Amino acid sequence: MWTLLTSSSNFVLESLETFAESTGVATLIESMGWRPLAMIVVAFVLLYLAIKHKFEPLLLLTIAFGMLLTNLPGANMYHTELFAGGHVHWDIFVANAGLLDYLYLGVKLGIYPCLIFLGVGAMTDFGPLIANPKSFLLGAAAQLGIFLTFIGAYALGFTPDQAASIGIIGGADGPTSIYLTAILAPELLGPIAVAAYSYMALVPVIQPPIMRLLTTEKERKIKMRQLRPVSKTEKILFPLIITVIIALLLPSAAPLVGCLMLGNLMKECGVVDRLSKTVQNELMNIVVIFLGITVGATATADAFLNAQTLKILVLGVIAFAMGTAGGVLLAKVMNLFLKEGNKINPLIGSAGVSAVPMAARVSQTEGQKADPSNFLLMHAMGPNVAGVVGSAVAAGILLAFLA
Amino acid sequence: MIFQAVTWGWSEILWVSLIGFALVFVLLVALIFIMKGFGACFRSRTTSLPGQPAIAPQPMISQEEIAAIATAMKIYRSALHDRESEVLTILSIKRAYSPWNSKIHGLTQLPDRK
Repeated sequence: MWTLLTSSSNFVLESLETFAESTGVATLIESMGWRPLAMIVVAFVLLYLAIKHKFEPLLLLTIAFGMLLTNLPGANMYHTELFAGGHVHWDIFVANAGLLDYLYLGVKLGIYPCLIFLGVGAMTDFGPLIANPKSFLLGAAAQLGIFLTFIGAYALGFTPDQAASIGIIGGADGPTSIYLTAILAPELLGPIAVAAYSYMALVPVIQPPIMRLLTTEKERKIKMRQLRPVSKTEKILFPLIITVIIALLLPSAAPLVGCLMLGNLMKECGVVDRLSKTVQNELMNIVVIFLGITVGATATADAFLNAQTLKILVLGVIAFAMGTAGGVLLAKVMNLFLKEGNKINPLIGSAGVSAVPMAARVSQTEGQKADPSNFLLMHAMGPNVAGVVGSAVAAGILLAFLA
Repeated sequence: MIFQAVTWGWSEILWVSLIGFALVFVLLVALIFIMKGFGACFRSRTTSLPGQPAIAPQPMISQEEIAAIATAMKIYRSALHDRESEVLTILSIKRAYSPWNSKIHGLTQLPDRK
């Protein structure tokens, strides 16, 4: 009887020991590295910023939670080795993959950014851009930040692929940044996504000082002519024309621009309301959850806690600032050639960085500070949506050169 | 990859940046011309349909006027109140008997022990 009791107590102790060894706490005590702990703290800080200060909460909350999951030892939800070298290692995938590895395939294969663009297209009104096609110029000028940061990142020792992925932060377009980075520099996906979305949330902080610095009080008071009304037929034909032209001239930008325009066509044609509502709400929300959590999962301690991340954060804010400056300065140059009465308020140039509709709202707010009777919002929406097309085109060009 | 065989150096980086930025501009400027032509085509169609009188251009409303109209509408709407009739009524509701909502059928009957 005594022997039986002893042997069974040994078995219980051994089982408990095995269980204790399998827990994340044991792994944490064993490795006791400060790096996973630091990442967990970073995740909590981002959660705080998302919940308390509402910094792009839809994405930052899920990114931060993904970051938390991937850095908790023993959870085995995401394995960097399955995506080492920028490729999916299918031979060992099924045997080793965790939940987040499966979800990450949507980022790796470029599915989520395109689905988000589908929703963005369905939520965007291209009317102001159709009414004033000159806005395309401001959208193009605001891509200046991408290419100057590309040069700056290369100067700081990044490879051309990494430099292009960092530069695209200047487009202020999260899905495009993720799409390009997942193809060119997947090892930088975590820091680049966090930088892109954090700075997009900080658009009202970053842009106004640059806008005020580059414009005079008189320029900020310029009142623009009312936009012409745009017919439904024009709104239906616009996405079709843009898709055909972009896909023919720049096939590498076709997935992003194609999805953006398909979403917009669904909205404008008015015959597929159910699909339009689905891509705007349910599909968009589901993809945002998957995208956020998996992008956060790539922010492992090894990938995030290094000097590169700091450089990316600095380069990201420079890219944003230069994009803003590019748009404002081109608007000023355009004013030199435009007749009185047709002049552009340079404040709408800053909306050329994508960040829809935050950048347009900043233009409106700054315009009203100079003249409370000035309404720039609809004028700024033109460059704003042109910026979405512009950043997708810039990403396509970089892909054509580098991928 | 266009530059597959090229070893990347400063000159390649600068050229890619220059060509890339120029291409963004060229593509979007091309779109401006296409959209302008497209818009002009639509405006000419709507203004001069054969057999129909040309639509007179409407006078532009200034932004101050739009703001004044919007403010007046807001004040008018906020001044509206829901007025209740202030008459209390007690309605007797008669419902036809149905076993579907009958309490007696929803409860387990205890055996009648006498």
